[in-house]
Amino acid sequence: MAQREERGREPAPGLVRDLTRYRRRPHGAERTAYVGMAVFLGSWAMLFVALFFAYAFLRARAPSWPPLDAPPLPRLLPGLNTLVIAASSAAVVRATRSQELRRPRGVTAALAAAVVLGAIFLLVQGVVWSGLWRQGLVPAGGPYPSVFYAFTAFHALHVVVGLAALAWLAVRARAGGESLRTDVRLWGWYWHFVGVVWGVLYLTVYLA
Amino acid sequence: MTPAQALMEEAQPIHPAPTSFWRRYVFSIDHKMIAKQFLWAGLLFLLVGGALAMLIRWQWGFPYRPVPLVGRLLFGESGVIGPATYQQIFTTHGLVMIFFAVTPVLIGTFGNLLIPLMIGARDMAFPRLNMYSFWTFLLSQLLVLASFFAPLGSAGAGWTTYTPLSTNVGMPGMGQTLVVAAIFVTGVSSTMGAVNYITTVIRLRAPGMTYMRLPLTIWGLWLTAILNALFVPVLGSAALLLLLDRSFGTEFFVAGASAVRGGGDPILWQHLFWIFGHPEVYIMILPAWGILGDVLSFFARKPHHWYRGTVWAMVLVTVLSAMVYGHHMFMTGMSPLLGEGFMLFTLLISIPSMVVVVNWVLTLWQGSLRYDTPMLFALGTVFVFGVGGLTGLFLGDISMDLYLHDTMFVVGHFHFTMAAASVMGAFTGIYFWFPKMFGRRLGERLGKIHFWFTFLGLTLVFGGQLLAGYAGQERRLFDPFQYTFIQGLRGLNRWTSYFAFALFTGQLFFVVNFFRGVFGRRAAPAGPNPWHVTTLEWTATSSPPPFHNFDRIPEVVRGPHELSNPEVRRLTGRDFAGQAELLPGDGAAAVAARKG
Repeated sequence: MAQREERGREPAPGLVRDLTRYRRRPHGAERTAYVGMAVFLGSWAMLFVALFFAYAFLRARAPSWPPLDAPPLPRLLPGLNTLVIAASSAAVVRATRSQELRRPRGVTAALAAAVVLGAIFLLVQGVVWSGLWRQGLVPAGGPYPSVFYAFTAFHALHVVVGLAALAWLAVRARAGGESLRTDVRLWGWYWHFVGVVWGVLYLTVYLA
Repeated sequence: MTPAQALMEEAQPIHPAPTSFWRRYVFSIDHKMIAKQFLWAGLLFLLVGGALAMLIRWQWGFPYRPVPLVGRLLFGESGVIGPATYQQIFTTHGLVMIFFAVTPVLIGTFGNLLIPLMIGARDMAFPRLNMYSFWTFLLSQLLVLASFFAPLGSAGAGWTTYTPLSTNVGMPGMGQTLVVAAIFVTGVSSTMGAVNYITTVIRLRAPGMTYMRLPLTIWGLWLTAILNALFVPVLGSAALLLLLDRSFGTEFFVAGASAVRGGGDPILWQHLFWIFGHPEVYIMILPAWGILGDVLSFFARKPHHWYRGTVWAMVLVTVLSAMVYGHHMFMTGMSPLLGEGFMLFTLLISIPSMVVVVNWVLTLWQGSLRYDTPMLFALGTVFVFGVGGLTGLFLGDISMDLYLHDTMFVVGHFHFTMAAASVMGAFTGIYFWFPKMFGRRLGERLGKIHFWFTFLGLTLVFGGQLLAGYAGQERRLFDPFQYTFIQGLRGLNRWTSYFAFALFTGQLFFVVNFFRGVFGRRAAPAGPNPWHVTTLEWTATSSPPPFHNFDRIPEVVRGPHELSNPEVRRLTGRDFAGQAELLPGDGAAAVAARKG
């Protein structure tokens, strides 16, 4: 039904803003892709919900959390990392806007910024891992390090996938083209999703 | 063409059919071909799972006796099934049947074949994703097959893969790891399928195909897809954690001895597994319910009784199915209050389920029944599902469950629902939609013989299990008769095994029939609508449909069960009207008014 409206009604003349908004309105196939991505992310979110359920379950049953002999998790570096990944998400938003305004150069620049920020995130995460590892926190030391390493590594895997996709998009964006619009948006959603998961992870695993 | 049709046409242009062999049959993005791929893969594994079941039945009927025919080939010189091998047999029987046989046939085949055809779409929303879904599924099947050749053999921790038995402590072999990986991979495949199905139904319904005009089959498949999308990832995360435990030394499920660090918790697996596992039960039965809703109506030549009631009951069952998983864990020492909550919701499910069943029966009431093979299978499904559902009440009730837990009664119960009802529901669908898939009908004679073998076989085998369980025989035992009080059940077990062998042999009629139908050239083409029914795949396209399904996207004007309407008979001389059929005179003014 919504489709009928978008085809049938011409944009009200006069305001340029109305025109841009009209142009931004997604067409049928694009909308289908959005629905699909929303369903997919909702489904994938259940995977993380189950992981956090497992975490809560183990933590509730542990005699002490963190265990007495475990080195304390750093808070500052991951905190900075939270800002880094938020900035990266903001860069993707910027890329989406540039795409709307048809500035391929802007899209490439913003996506490249997002990729660089994401790489910094991984680098910092690597520093955190190696530091803790040297202090004796290894996966085989009970549920506490298990949760820590499994969750952060699984999240990092999602970051790697996102980085690859964004980098590829950045290369393609240099050529410009309208067809990229959906891809930028959808990978943007994915990237925000990964960011939100990190937020929850930071709050529950590092801070709480 | 109405404007709405024009829009859908524009959104789904006709692409030329692929001509190369690989694009057509192997790396196909055509939903009809992918459905057939799932059908072959699923039926093949149904055979594997069935053969494994025969070995289990041999063990229970004739423990310590060499297996005839294949014993020396499979189990060495003596030909006797050993305890460790036996464990792997019943484990892989369950896993193969659930994840790699029934799921691909019920959801992979019918979901792919029917969703676009029944809602009037040219293909799935994401055809390429659909292809990936099948190839991912095939990879998971290969992982399972590979596990049989791993040192120490395949998985042996039961299909539920309970920890700590399934960790390195209980199953150190590579086989268990491969099977857990296969579960994860097949989960990814299911998720891809689910995303596709959900999106397709939301976005690609033909003009006029409102939600309340969807055939019940589509409702069943759609609700299944929603459950899949929500709960298969939970199993995925459980499998992931178990893989980490097995391969990277983490301790999620292994209880540690250290008082300082604490340890993992084996019960955690049960929570994660059953959060997925109970919806999974409905994942396997909802498509069959949907198929039944339509087929019973078609062969009773009556509209489905209280269509809306059935739809909402199915929705309610879907919702409730997510809230009852604890009834699998009454014996894990959970809080009694929690247990009672789970019991309450479990028993509540029987109310919407009964609405569905009563609607089936009332659909049959005073109908002019046609006993073609699909109808026979549908009626059989109603019966076995009834038995399965009623025995479920005993197990959902805590005080009864304490006695029946882990007995063959449980096995009988879930086989009546997940095996008998799901498999017979799948056969209903196969016999019914075979002409649409392959252009010819399956033979009625062979079909009817197959039906009686299947129906009586399933009922007697699983009925025997219910009896044995009620008498106290525990499930999964290598030699149940090591307990003196079970020794009196030797005869019962032996007879159950005989019936099981008959059931397995009877499937031969289906195999012959199926191959004749697919490859034989003797049978005449079935024509577009051999069953004289109403839904779009029969009334708006040919059998088998062309690559693009519909020459023109149909506009739907009525619900799915327009049968035996006297007005339709007066206008057309037929007792049915297609969902997109514009009748002469009838509603012309209404159509004009709708067009504006």
